[in-house]
Amino acid sequence: MLLAVVETRKIFGGTTHLERVFFYLLALVVLVVFFAGLGLRVKKYMAGRPLDASRFRRARVPLEKPGVSAPVPLTQTGVDIAANRTVSRRNHAVGGAHLLLFWGFLGLLAATIIVGLDYDVYGNLTRIFGGKELSFFKGWFYLGYNAIFDTAGLAAIVGAVWLAVRRIRDTKSSVALDYTRAQKPRSGYSRAAMTAGDHLFIFGLILILFTGILLQGLRIDAAGFPSFERWTWLGYLVGSGFGALGLHGSAAGTAHFWLWWVHILMALAFVAYLPFSKALHMISAPANLAVRDPGNTRRLPSPPSGHAGYQDFADFTSKELLGFDACTKCGRCHSVCPARTGGAPLSPRDLILDLRQYADRKRGIPMVLDWEERPDQSGPKNLEGRLAGEVIEPATLWSCTTCMACVEICPVGIEHVPTIVSLRRSLVDAGEMDPTLQAALENIATQGNSFGKSSRMRARWTKGLDIPIPDARKEEVEYLWFLGDFASFDERLQEISRTLARVLTANGISFGILYEDERNAGNDVRRAGEEGLFEMLVEKNMEAFSKASFKKIFTTDPHSFNTLRNEYPAYGLDKPVMHYSELLASLISEGRVSLAGLDKKVTYHDPCYLGRYNRIFDAPRSVITSAGCELVEMPRNRTNSFCCGAGGGRIWMDDSVLAERPSANRIREAAELDVGYFVVACPKDYAMFSDAVKSTGNEDRMKVVDIVELFAEASGELALAGAASEEAPES
Amino acid sequence: MKIVVAMRQIADLVEELEVDASGADIDREFVKFVSNEWDEAALEEALCLKEAHGGEVVVVGVDDVDFDQTLFGALAKGADRAVKLDCGFEGWMPTAVRAEILARWLREESFDLVLTGVQAADDLDGQLAGVLGARLGLPHAAVVVGLEPDGSGFKVTQELGGGVTLTSHATGPLVLGIQAARQAPRYVPISRIRQAMSAGGIEVVEVEAPSARAPKVTRLFAPEAKGRAEMLGDKPSEVAARIVELIRAKGVSVS
Repeated sequence: MLLAVVETRKIFGGTTHLERVFFYLLALVVLVVFFAGLGLRVKKYMAGRPLDASRFRRARVPLEKPGVSAPVPLTQTGVDIAANRTVSRRNHAVGGAHLLLFWGFLGLLAATIIVGLDYDVYGNLTRIFGGKELSFFKGWFYLGYNAIFDTAGLAAIVGAVWLAVRRIRDTKSSVALDYTRAQKPRSGYSRAAMTAGDHLFIFGLILILFTGILLQGLRIDAAGFPSFERWTWLGYLVGSGFGALGLHGSAAGTAHFWLWWVHILMALAFVAYLPFSKALHMISAPANLAVRDPGNTRRLPSPPSGHAGYQDFADFTSKELLGFDACTKCGRCHSVCPARTGGAPLSPRDLILDLRQYADRKRGIPMVLDWEERPDQSGPKNLEGRLAGEVIEPATLWSCTTCMACVEICPVGIEHVPTIVSLRRSLVDAGEMDPTLQAALENIATQGNSFGKSSRMRARWTKGLDIPIPDARKEEVEYLWFLGDFASFDERLQEISRTLARVLTANGISFGILYEDERNAGNDVRRAGEEGLFEMLVEKNMEAFSKASFKKIFTTDPHSFNTLRNEYPAYGLDKPVMHYSELLASLISEGRVSLAGLDKKVTYHDPCYLGRYNRIFDAPRSVITSAGCELVEMPRNRTNSFCCGAGGGRIWMDDSVLAERPSANRIREAAELDVGYFVVACPKDYAMFSDAVKSTGNEDRMKVVDIVELFAEASGELALAGAASEEAPES
Repeated sequence: MKIVVAMRQIADLVEELEVDASGADIDREFVKFVSNEWDEAALEEALCLKEAHGGEVVVVGVDDVDFDQTLFGALAKGADRAVKLDCGFEGWMPTAVRAEILARWLREESFDLVLTGVQAADDLDGQLAGVLGARLGLPHAAVVVGLEPDGSGFKVTQELGGGVTLTSHATGPLVLGIQAARQAPRYVPISRIRQAMSAGGIEVVEVEAPSARAPKVTRLFAPEAKGRAEMLGDKPSEVAARIVELIRAKGVSVS
């Protein structure tokens, strides 16, 4: 009798009924462990504060951009996840490898589910209700299934091996893959378990994938290479290999039997291991990306009701707790952090890992090879201690410049900065801070500026001008110019403020200032954790705004710009807020001014609060290039700009403990470019980099200039000191 | 232990002070008034003592411009009571008068210590602690930099000239002029001050304006330039030229 060839294969690798019972019991246990683990996690998130729903209700700011200052739309999140866009950013090789593993793994997951549906669901249903066990796992479906999912298997293996090789080779050279803590516990620590966990994860995965492919080869070999199995192309190829090695027939069948059990046991172990390990990121990372809201960093959330700042586990939001679980220790935040780079005891990664371990210990959630060992009960092991101050050291929290580089690059959407500020608020509430920061806050509280000068001196910089600056409280102006403390009080910057005033007046811009009524805008006060003082400053400034008549605001200071644009609307500010670089760029683009070629070779530093925070990259660059300068970019530019170290209140704190100030690091970067000018668009940058140029011995090679100085020189308003000897031509 | 801290407001020296039309006082119209920084040190020492040994801290002072702010700040930092003595006095208050007003209130109170700042911008010779001690008939000490309970009394450390410190034992009640607390005055977050403000809690006590014997101010003025110094500018070449010119004009003796 001729047997018709049916293109299919046996699903179950075992042979006896006992084996079958054993397998299903084991699978049941594994699923119980898996869902129990996930349940523990979900219950942990539920124990956190619910998301602040008001952020979905608040009025939209005109310039709000999805993914920048507003929550990311779910469709975009879907694309980001599907294309691994956040993983590929600034590292396409790793992104490509991860993408192969991601889709390969999803393919194999789908393959497993299909087989389960056929064998365990369809097969059983037809046997029970139809009397005869049926299968759709045959014929053309079987052939296509194998062709597609063999490809997925290969993709997963290539991706996994690529990532594993990189991890082994790069640990020595890459800062990101080095797990050394930035903040060194006095008692010492070991992260050997974390490293072992990383290896277990990637090599375990590779083993499962490899045995799966080998199984196919053995099966096809044992079956004598039926021609339809050519569709199972990878298995066929591997089987041919076994054949060439002399493994045939029943020997291949026996090997298949044992390897099948090895493969299945490893795969089941992996499922059980997933919710307690680094593998959890397969679930937590996409979930966290879906709820991420980069606007949270630009517009900080209010403190939990009844607490000034975070004090214990219950103060974290569900989203923060989910974010802690999403961290894969990839170290991208660790390598871009200016505090960590400068030798401060802060690494965003360590902070997140510490908080994750603290949260898991608090909830009694076990972790498999994903913990740090310490001989004492300090840091994340200190479950009774103060969250801000003992679990996380004050010096760690105070090191943050709130530059947002970590939030920007995090591939899984963790928002470190709001968490750090929430913890700082507890320190401020306890009065625990640098004496210099305390003095600055006291000055701001009494005089409205960090310089400790009388508020009546705020407009003294106008004294050196031969043109009057309109008082926006007394006459109607188009633009209200909000200078900020540095542009008003710092002597180096007062001259730049006067230059800007001359440029704007010469170009017929209607603007005015608030004179002694302007107060520190509070951006850095808020980020230092002094929420009450921030609110007081907002009230004072809003009161001053109400006394003035104007259509729009522009600021000198990008920090003031950020809070006025993103945070003040919640307190009633309904006027557009611009940065002076945008105003200068619009004068050029509208053709209201013609600039002469300056013929300078310059580089430009993106201020954190202008670039990364508010995505203004092109306006200052257009001023520079329109002024005829050759712009040479630093390697770290735009969203990857490197902080000067002044943000988040750091400018009021002692940075002599740093091995290298971030500003000096940045000047060294610029010094590689052979440019004569380091162009800035932020008063704090001007102050920080003017010092750094001196401290790094680059004073003779590079001069720090503000974009308005270039603009003024190119439009004939002013010749830069130390620049071309002849007078710039009149425009 | 009950500690009374006597505090006062002074003109904020960040402001440019001007003499008013009478010529005997500063122009109080536009000047900002803030808490005297040495009084803040006295408050800090009182709070530290309370934290270490228990007790009660009462802040008291004569009503003055923005004195409520200072009292709310003290309450926010941990003071138990804040008392404002209202006597309807206007203008600059001589220290002798201030001491008499405080003494009248203190005579009705029981206490172990009265702490006040060793000096103030308008009391640079630090009379308040001494005069107050004399009015109350209590021992007093000034320039105190250390204070600890010691048996039935207190161990008081004072700073003397020439880098010498002096420790003495005194039995209370005492009146002390505090030079420095054991730690810098603490920061009090604005939200806590606002909480204290919304809770209220300042006790106002009417006190009769005393007629203490005090000198009458006849003239207040900025130091007058004697015209002996000449600034030579900041351009090195011009400065050098001017020095040469001066030496030529006034002569120089070379021995």
